[in-house]
Amino acid sequence: MSRRIGMALVWFLGVPVAIAQSPGAVSEKEFLADMPVVLSVSRLPQRLDETPGAVTVLDRNMIRLSGARDLADLLRLVPGFRVSNSFESNAPQGSYHISLGTFSNHIQVLVDGRSVYSPYLQGSTGPGLQTVALEDIERIEVLRGSNSAAYGARAFLGVVNIVTLDPLATLGAHAQVSWGDNGIQDTLVRLGLGDERASFRLGVDRRSDWGLVGATGPNRVTRFNLRADLQLAASDQVELRAGQSVLEAGVGYSTLPGDDVRVRRADTSFFQLDWYRNLGLDSDLALKLSRTQELNQDKFPYLPIPGVVVDYGGRATSDNLSLQHTFRQGPALRIVWGGELRREAVSSRPIYNTDSDFVNDFVRLFGNAEWRLNPQWLLNAGGMLEHSSVDGDSFSPRIMLNWHFAPGQTLRYGVSHAFRPPSTFEKFSNVRYSLGDVLLDSTKVARGRVKPEKILAREIGYLGNFPGLRMNLDVRLFEEEIRDFIKSSNYALPGSGVLDSNAIDYINDENFSIRGIEYQLKWQPWRGGELVLGQSFSNSDQLVSGNYPKLPFSSTSLMASQKLPSGADLSVIYQQVGATHFAGVDLPAPAISRTDLRLAMPLRFGARRGEVSLVFQNLGPAYQDYLPETSFRRQVYLTLKLEN
Amino acid sequence: MPLFLRALLLLCLGCLAAGKLCAADFQVVIVSSERSPAYQEAADALLGELERQGVPRKTTLQITPSELGTGGELTARLFVTLGADAAMAVVKADPRAPILCTLLPQESFERVRRDSGRRSNSVLSAVYINQPLNRQMDLVRLALPDAGRVGLILGDGSQGQIPAVESAAQSRGFKLVIAVVAPGEPVFKGLKKILEEADLLLAWPDQQIYNSNSIQNVLLASFRARVPLIGFSSAYVRAGALVAVYSTPAQIGIQAGATARGVLQGKTMPPPQYPVEFTVSVNEHVARSLGLTLDASALGERLRAMEQR
Repeated sequence: MSRRIGMALVWFLGVPVAIAQSPGAVSEKEFLADMPVVLSVSRLPQRLDETPGAVTVLDRNMIRLSGARDLADLLRLVPGFRVSNSFESNAPQGSYHISLGTFSNHIQVLVDGRSVYSPYLQGSTGPGLQTVALEDIERIEVLRGSNSAAYGARAFLGVVNIVTLDPLATLGAHAQVSWGDNGIQDTLVRLGLGDERASFRLGVDRRSDWGLVGATGPNRVTRFNLRADLQLAASDQVELRAGQSVLEAGVGYSTLPGDDVRVRRADTSFFQLDWYRNLGLDSDLALKLSRTQELNQDKFPYLPIPGVVVDYGGRATSDNLSLQHTFRQGPALRIVWGGELRREAVSSRPIYNTDSDFVNDFVRLFGNAEWRLNPQWLLNAGGMLEHSSVDGDSFSPRIMLNWHFAPGQTLRYGVSHAFRPPSTFEKFSNVRYSLGDVLLDSTKVARGRVKPEKILAREIGYLGNFPGLRMNLDVRLFEEEIRDFIKSSNYALPGSGVLDSNAIDYINDENFSIRGIEYQLKWQPWRGGELVLGQSFSNSDQLVSGNYPKLPFSSTSLMASQKLPSGADLSVIYQQVGATHFAGVDLPAPAISRTDLRLAMPLRFGARRGEVSLVFQNLGPAYQDYLPETSFRRQVYLTLKLEN
Repeated sequence: MPLFLRALLLLCLGCLAAGKLCAADFQVVIVSSERSPAYQEAADALLGELERQGVPRKTTLQITPSELGTGGELTARLFVTLGADAAMAVVKADPRAPILCTLLPQESFERVRRDSGRRSNSVLSAVYINQPLNRQMDLVRLALPDAGRVGLILGDGSQGQIPAVESAAQSRGFKLVIAVVAPGEPVFKGLKKILEEADLLLAWPDQQIYNSNSIQNVLLASFRARVPLIGFSSAYVRAGALVAVYSTPAQIGIQAGATARGVLQGKTMPPPQYPVEFTVSVNEHVARSLGLTLDASALGERLRAMEQR
């Protein structure tokens, strides 16, 4: 990987940077000249009232005003999301509609079109959320609702689509530092150069703090991201990306000998090449190639039995090649279709008791049609056919009908069916502990019978735009029937070791439904002021193990911001989450109430611009985040940002 | 062969060689910068219009500037040029007839006029290819009724246009946001200011700013910022501009034809004119994505109605 990046760098530097055109005399040529098709069929996004589902957009301004240091923390502004800042299981994560687990793996996370779930960590999206610095993000589109037809196999309950800034928007130098309570020390340096023909961005950043109260910490995320956009010809554009993120978390407890203190390291690197070719006014091709590599290290002595070592380490790679064709067929029909080849390979001697790779080859065919039946009615219909060398074939169709019943008023109804194939761990784990030649215990021995989880989601949505009131409202009423939900289960395994004769497998154990309603409201009541309110109420029949009663779930988030006359920004973010539980692990998750405050002042030093901001996170008492032992306390931090 | 016969043959050959040029007395000579389709479209429309008005095609001649240079003395009652190069070449040749320059922007024509010794409209006039500023501002008002701030990115050479644009904008109640980009500087610097401060970007024909390299970024960035681009040709609309008002080469050819006919009938050549006929084009896909409903023909009708008032 590092060699690849090195070669790519050499190649980038060898590309001559185009010089801007010198002024020439105007002639009729400007009026008669041909121009390449730029806003081509695949570059025009669907309007929010025409998308097949509810979408929450977190734009650059909202990200800035939120004061968040972490992407997962930002997702609490999305109705229906539960988030955690904990590094205990892997990395801060977000879960939509189902409770947070060890690994949040029921949503799809895309960074510039690349799926970033971790095949090694049971499909967790936590490490993937750490791919890029918040400062490099242009917007995050969160599609609330199942949508495998358009966003791939992992879009089980929703999609977090992260779009980074165009390198031309980040020309020049940018540096920022944050200091604060709880050991907060974040730094970012970014350099952008080039012009319209070839533009580059290199960003290096680190965020670190001591972690949650009760956690060992400290936690540190170090990353670099390189991007190059090259305009090869009027109709051909190439985008190259390479990056690495290293998560180092201080985990374990000095009081728990079986879970001793250590640093867990997750190192993810990637390379991505996207080639876009315009085939005319109504047709585009996109070829995408990427490789993602994970290296996980988490090894410590099991103190109760000297000589035994616990090791969760291993590696995984995902290779992806996809070709997508987007075209219009007349004024009423737009079609996207294509194919994708993906190979996931996972290996870990301590987890799988073999040095061999576990390979899963996926072949996917997908298609989506956006059919404008008449000016009032729009039908989005699509599906994805997937063949997995491990799990066989599946088909995920989705249909959504949008009705613009009055100007600015839209109702939509849709049904979607999707799958989540079990991860390699859930299917093939084989964790054994030995002392010399004596097998002490086999903790997880999967029997390989687990099948994909399924979901059937139905929704009714309403989208209202009230320009006179400067307000828009999005309501989603949903029912999500989940079948064959994968859970861990104990079974008798004679010979599993001298300590006991049981092992853990993963099985398709539960069917349950989640029903509820959620909405988001954006309102600009006066100049420079904005309110973003989101609420979600749901009921789930998912079994609660232990002594915790089933509870309806509710959450509220409110962000109020005001631009002050001096150019300063003031924002307040309030969040309230009802009590819940971590399903299946017998742990309560009490209610959360959190208020953040951010005040920022713009700075100017000649041509250079900057900003100084002060953020108070969680003005109230500490609340439980993730485990009962860990909580998020009040922290204040100051950020200084400079750019030219 | 007897000497006199040889001499006679040479004389005939010589006359043939000089051919039509010797014959002279064309009604109209059309000098076209190029023979590419756009210029030919204008020439055909012009010839068609003349023919409709009773000027037979055989009394006209269509050539390129290079043919003008080798042809010796060429006489006609009127020279019509298509494009800036042709205008410059004909002015340099300085025929005795009046010259009507067409299919060129106002700026080019003014340069041609400066280089010529001709001061009177009756001997040198034009039908411009560019639209009057008021028409463009009216289109902006009709297409984007809520817009208040018109963004403009100008290269070094276009700064002279600022006062005229400012007065047109003010008369329509717009505030102008102008970014000037120095030669060699990336267009994006100016674009950033416009995207932050303006409601729309009015494209201004300037090779330094708008060229096939920069258009990609200008269109993508402005679309993302929801600051629509107002173009000045159909190619811009095809590329992704929201809307444009422009005149097709045929529309300009017809107007040139009508002017030419007046001159042939003995009228004085009118002062330089903007195109009277124009076309409005809308990129409906872009409009839809931006949540706008625009009807190109209705916009055109309303613009025409406004101008007739």
